[in-house]
Amino acid sequence: MRIEEYAEMIYACGRCEFCRGFDFNERCPEIFTQKWESSTARGRMLIARALLEGKLEYTEDLAERIFGCFLCARCKEECKKAAQIDIVEITKAMRADFVDHGVKIPEAGNEMASLAMEKGNIFGDSPAFHAKWAEGLEFKKGSGILFYPGCLASHRFKEKTRILVQLLQAAGYDLDFLGDEQTCCGTPLWITGNMAEAKKMVSAQLKKMQNRGVKVIITPCPSCFRAFDEEYPRILGVEKLPIKVRHTSEVLEEIVEKKKIKLKHKVKKRVTYHDPCEIGRYRDIYEPPRKVLNAIPGLEFVEMSRKEAESFCCGGGGGVKLMYPDYSRAVSRERLTDVLATGSEIVATICPACEMNLTHATYEADAAIRVLDVAELMAVSAGLVDEEILDPYYIPDD
Amino acid sequence: MANVGKITKLLVKVVGSDRVSDKHFDLIPYGRDLSPAKEKLPTHVVMPKSREEIQGILKIANMHDVPIYIRGGGTSHWDAFLAQEPGIMLDLSFLNAIVEINERDLTATVQPNCTWAKLDFELRKQGLTYLCSEAGGPAMTIGGSVMKGGGGPHGTAKFGFHGNQDIITLEMVLPNGEVVETGSAAWPSAGKFKRQCLGPDLAGLFIGAEGILGICTELTLRIRPATDFKERLLATMDSLDKVIEFGHFINRHVGDEYLQGAYLWVDPSAPDVFLLMMDVFGYEKEIIEHRKERVIEKVKELGGVFGDSEPANGYFDGILTGLTDIFATGVWHFFGSGSLRIDDIGVIYKIWREELIEKRGYTKAGFGGNFLPRDWLAFMVTNYKEPEESEMIMKLADEINELVLSGPVVPYGIGGREGLRPIVEARNTGYYRLLKVIKKAVDPKNILQRGIFIPKEELL
Ligand SMILES: Cc1cc2nc3c(=O)[nH]c(=O)nc-3n(C[C@H](O)[C@H](O)[C@H](O)COP(=O)(O)OP(=O)(O)OC[C@H]3O[C@@H](n4cnc5c(N)ncnc54)[C@H](O)[C@@H]3O)c2cc1C
Ligand code: SF4
Ligand code: SF4
Repeated sequence: MRIEEYAEMIYACGRCEFCRGFDFNERCPEIFTQKWESSTARGRMLIARALLEGKLEYTEDLAERIFGCFLCARCKEECKKAAQIDIVEITKAMRADFVDHGVKIPEAGNEMASLAMEKGNIFGDSPAFHAKWAEGLEFKKGSGILFYPGCLASHRFKEKTRILVQLLQAAGYDLDFLGDEQTCCGTPLWITGNMAEAKKMVSAQLKKMQNRGVKVIITPCPSCFRAFDEEYPRILGVEKLPIKVRHTSEVLEEIVEKKKIKLKHKVKKRVTYHDPCEIGRYRDIYEPPRKVLNAIPGLEFVEMSRKEAESFCCGGGGGVKLMYPDYSRAVSRERLTDVLATGSEIVATICPACEMNLTHATYEADAAIRVLDVAELMAVSAGLVDEEILDPYYIPDD
Repeated sequence: MANVGKITKLLVKVVGSDRVSDKHFDLIPYGRDLSPAKEKLPTHVVMPKSREEIQGILKIANMHDVPIYIRGGGTSHWDAFLAQEPGIMLDLSFLNAIVEINERDLTATVQPNCTWAKLDFELRKQGLTYLCSEAGGPAMTIGGSVMKGGGGPHGTAKFGFHGNQDIITLEMVLPNGEVVETGSAAWPSAGKFKRQCLGPDLAGLFIGAEGILGICTELTLRIRPATDFKERLLATMDSLDKVIEFGHFINRHVGDEYLQGAYLWVDPSAPDVFLLMMDVFGYEKEIIEHRKERVIEKVKELGGVFGDSEPANGYFDGILTGLTDIFATGVWHFFGSGSLRIDDIGVIYKIWREELIEKRGYTKAGFGGNFLPRDWLAFMVTNYKEPEESEMIMKLADEINELVLSGPVVPYGIGGREGLRPIVEARNTGYYRLLKVIKKAVDPKNILQRGIFIPKEELL
């Protein structure tokens, strides 16, 4: 069992319940949606202990408790005070154990993983369709700086992705793009426990990039960012990849700090910011997007009550969006209440998955709130796109 | 034992299928508490949303002779909610509403599984706070705290344990399903504003009973205005006698005590260094300043030395959000704990030092205590590794508990067969015999918390 590697941590849980928080909707989106004690991190550590001790087996009906976790790391953050347990890694190991033991996992999880492997993206798009967002943009093959949008930004957010590229290019980054050759980073494999093919896939991906002379990857997707920066080295058993991986939050901050672009137009909007779990709690990237927003003239920045390390998940994490869509929707609705409480007209974030979930929540609630990437606000201020995109009822050209 | 499937079906009829489970993986998380007590699994978990549903569950339990175990936040550590025998775990998580905050009467009415953290979060929006609580962190519930008659470092140096000043009325569902209210709420047309009025104080019967006499479904608490001023101090002293003198000093003015929190800690690596963390009480800056000065003068007079107050801030601020580094070197066990007179603290200290450290060579447990008005809540606590050290720790703790409770110390937190129950049972005091009579009268089938506080056999 893969969880054996984590036995020491599993036994280190002292059952303080810090991870559960003070109410269902307060910190853990899994207890918020499933309500059972078995859906808390504390519950999971006891389940893992029973599995280790042979008192319990992986079964199909246990899957909801393990695959219904959003991998948002809020519990892990809390456990820093208590036992420093890496609940996310243990949950991923449990998922992999399900697959290794041939126990049925949610169908949508397997489908996502097979589409990613077979078609090269989680939507099953043809390569040409998947790269359609880039039509009309010019890239510099072999520049060494690879723009890697990832599945969601390619398929779902064509306009946002175009705007981001325009912004980066206007700031002087010579971007390369894999075009039809771009394939999924592999995240669907490790979040669904389908690890058998992972090493082969990761090696092929890396080889493709090295052959093209890639020195730096820039990606707007926190999952792709962490895939290249953390999972690839781990799977390949190396300390670091020979390629530098940058998330756009850091690049946008660099643009502001080095004044690579002039933010000349006022954006007279009240804006709040949603911290994506995978760059926030996972990587401590809290300040850069805030710095960018505060650098935009006219913009009134307000914080949500739950922010930074205590931010609540958007509902998009852990593959739950596909495997348990109702749970995902409930969580995004809850997060929207935080947004609405700020009285903001725009919620900015810097992750395509968060953008999608929050956008769905605003549609469902018919809330007059626009969900934008930080880059889009910068692009408006830089005069690269019309300010009509700020309008809550604007329909993007996707 | 009743048929598990049959009981599941009956419970489903009361609460619906989405709030009952008999799945092994849903039961496992209820099998352990914060102590090294052995795993004890219930047969069912059920999550009621109303007192009527609780009544329905009690009816099934009585009819089929199935014990019910009550879980609040599940953060306690003396085998106090674990299923001592196969039975239903009543998880009260859904009963967590704040019913009313009455800022004129300074009362808050809550459902039992409202957490202290949730209540305080809402109270603070109105410039209010609560009187006292333990340091159990975000998930600790008001019902759990009060039903065990707890006390800890917050507010207790001034207001004492739960039940001393903070409980006004209780709503309890008795084992036979009958609902009773205490205090002024016992007179239905009166309302919830006073603890001691009609006849004997029945709230006192339930506070500290660890759920054996009834399930608490609502509480009205005394609240108070919050203050904008925080003044924490940290000092060390070089003898316990001086700490004792200091204890008398801070709460000599009965009802007008200087501190709301006073926490003593002695690390096993430095058994002659007595660290005190203090939280000065007062509403106005001038009063706080005055008290602070008086405390500083006294500590200095006793030869104490002040240090950086930051750890004291971290400690008192972490009571509801979660103390830090608690399991850094292993999970926790509290033992050798109890209430005792201010002058008697040396008794537990001596046992800690001589019996635990010197005689048994166990050097990983610290010694601590909270000052209360006119007494102490003292304890020993250790980090240890599960599972390999669990049995050794339990054995050690049992020996120390015996020694401590043979002295001038009242047990704190009774719990089940791996808690302090065996010691309490062996003493078989008049008090205990009366409790058994009351238990038999209100719970003839011994449905609630069977085996907790009182062994099953004693009630046959
Ligand atoms: C970090 C940390 C610090 C702690 N500090 C302290 C401290 O300073 N002092 C201290 O005393 N403890 C402390 N504890 C232990 C624990 O937090 C307290 O005992 C707390 O009061 C338990 O509350 P709970 O809601 O978790 O109750 P539970 O553990 O769920 O229950 C406690 C008891 O009450 C019963 N019960 C619960 N709800 C009801 C109800 N509605 N009706 C009837 N019976 C009920 C249970 O069956 C059980 O017997 C600490 C724990 C942690 C993790
Ligand atoms: S915070 Fe960590 S140690 Fe505490 S119950 Fe949760 S997982 Fe266990
Ligand atoms: S990772 Fe997030 S969803 Fe999963 S148990 Fe932790 S807090 Fe809950």
